[in-house]
Amino acid sequence: MKIDKKQLDKLNNEGVENLSVEERRNFLKMGLMVTGVFAGGTLLSATSAIDKVYASANQFAEKYPYKPHYSMILHIDRCIDCEKCKAACVKTNNVPSYGFRTTVLERPIPDGIDQKREFLPVLCNHCNVPQCTRVCPTKATYKDQQNGIVMMNTSKCIGCLSCQLACPYNARYFNEEKWAVDKCNFCFDTRLTKGEDLTACAAACPAGVRIFGDLSKPSDRVYREVHTVSRTVWVLRPEAATKPNVFYTRG
Amino acid sequence: MKRIGLLTIIALAALLVFNIGMVMAEDDIPDDIIFTEPVVGVVFSHDAHVNGAGMDCESCHDDIFQMEALSAQQETDFNMLSLSEGRYCGACHDGEMAFDANTRCASCHIGVIGYNRANGVDGEHGGE
Repeated sequence: MKIDKKQLDKLNNEGVENLSVEERRNFLKMGLMVTGVFAGGTLLSATSAIDKVYASANQFAEKYPYKPHYSMILHIDRCIDCEKCKAACVKTNNVPSYGFRTTVLERPIPDGIDQKREFLPVLCNHCNVPQCTRVCPTKATYKDQQNGIVMMNTSKCIGCLSCQLACPYNARYFNEEKWAVDKCNFCFDTRLTKGEDLTACAAACPAGVRIFGDLSKPSDRVYREVHTVSRTVWVLRPEAATKPNVFYTRG
Repeated sequence: MKRIGLLTIIALAALLVFNIGMVMAEDDIPDDIIFTEPVVGVVFSHDAHVNGAGMDCESCHDDIFQMEALSAQQETDFNMLSLSEGRYCGACHDGEMAFDANTRCASCHIGVIGYNRANGVDGEHGGE
């Protein structure tokens, strides 16, 4: 509504003590209504947050209905950084030396009583809420609706590297031969569609670290270990809220 | 004169024997050995075993290991299965005399990263 400033300046302040009870009541009602809207909104978001945290296995399968739902669990107490997984990946997927689809990180533990270091293999987590696909301007990267793998369509990639920036797991690198961003795709084109059950890294590991499987099947080892209550299973950077499909455990 | 001479000789002899013992323990142990077969980066530290655990040369040489460094990895059976059967490191690392070789893997397996670090490779990583 248009208020003339000159008119406003001419008005006299009648003083709070001169406001009628009616006017005060109306003002308070408006205030309470606004507060109520805020409170209601907060309550609604709280209940859906609880759902996010305590979602059942059924709800998870409903929300992410991939078949097969490719995933991996890594038993990092067994990792010895032999890097045979990395060598197999490089050979299978032609990964150049300046980048990696998977690598092994080292965590020094100076106060460790049994051992002074731990190794952590990392790769694309094929997140259920991927940050990379959100930022891609050309839809060159996308989450496959059948199997959940975050795929790369190299012909559409313009090399803007937004996905590389967005990924919380440092999983992407720019491949100069393909002139596109490259990353782990669970060996979909090189192995899974060619009759192999396992990714190159999972098949090459001599220590039983990488267990590749299907989260949609309750009989699958990955499903069983992720849902075993007595087993401590975690994901990397849970605060990124990406809901990864790569899990970590010990023992 | 003669008695002083004899005393000197005895003192010198005692000093020599004592020193040989000391020299053997601290100066003569080899550097850490890092195996590269069948996987890269398994460290054996003489220091930890000789000075740390107080073992002598005969504990391992020549029954369990040859004196020549890295000769064990020339054998085709130098693997974890052999260790669990009591060969090589498994002769002691059975859970009784020393920690079971089947546990705390990264205490000996320093990996490609550890191997590169020991050899002064930049970036410490293979192919990064």
